[in-house]
Amino acid sequence: MEGVIVLLVQLSVPVLLLLIGLVVGTTTERLHLGRLASREREFAGMSVTDIRTFGPGADPSKHAALVSGEAVIATDYLKSFLAGFRKILGGELRSYRSLMGRARREALMRLLAEARRKGFNAVCNVRYETADIGGFTGKRGAVMVECFAYGTAYRLETRDSQ
Amino acid sequence: MILVNTETIPGMRIVELKGIVQGNTVRAKHLGRDIAASFKNIVGGELKGYTELLTEARREALERMLAQAEQLGANAVLNLRFSTSAVTQGAAELYAYGTAAVVEPE
Repeated sequence: MEGVIVLLVQLSVPVLLLLIGLVVGTTTERLHLGRLASREREFAGMSVTDIRTFGPGADPSKHAALVSGEAVIATDYLKSFLAGFRKILGGELRSYRSLMGRARREALMRLLAEARRKGFNAVCNVRYETADIGGFTGKRGAVMVECFAYGTAYRLETRDSQ
Repeated sequence: MILVNTETIPGMRIVELKGIVQGNTVRAKHLGRDIAASFKNIVGGELKGYTELLTEARREALERMLAQAEQLGANAVLNLRFSTSAVTQGAAELYAYGTAAVVEPE
């Protein structure tokens, strides 16, 4: 009888963590995706390219400048638990794919926000970079993705400067 | 100092190239942030402490690069690149490099 109780107590902690992951993690992700979508609409008027040259109609009177954005996002307990199973079976880790996507989009939105704040309406040569500060290589390390976006902001004469 | 990651600047002409300038920094995260991060791993979401840490580290690498460019007498850095490498577990090297140049309005 005692053994059963001990087992139940030991099981309840991971189950509780899984539940928290399910409720809070899923809500956080949904809210973040919603915020990203609305900010992407807000910045839809800006010209963003990963081409190394400036678009036609670049305004020479305003000097181009470097802009950047950064985001570090962690996964939740449920998703890393499920990913553990997936790693045995192989195949696509869909929850981590969404995590990478969120970090990249968040970094780009921060880059665009900086560009707009500085009075630019276009960005070219956007590059993405990731840093590993102990997420994937560590045994007890947290599962998180770090994404950094940088590019050159400039002003296009042909568009309204917002 | 004009900083761009393109090879040209609209309205500016390259007068002289000064060569490659670079700056780096190796940063470790600290325990307090680790504890916050392990908590975040249950609920998910952004790790603001790490975001700040990386932004600050990149700024430092960039500043070291700019100091080199200034020493060479440049007023712009073209084709700027950022790079990272894992040195040891829990630490990362952030590296910024570019071409220092003297530019003037056309």
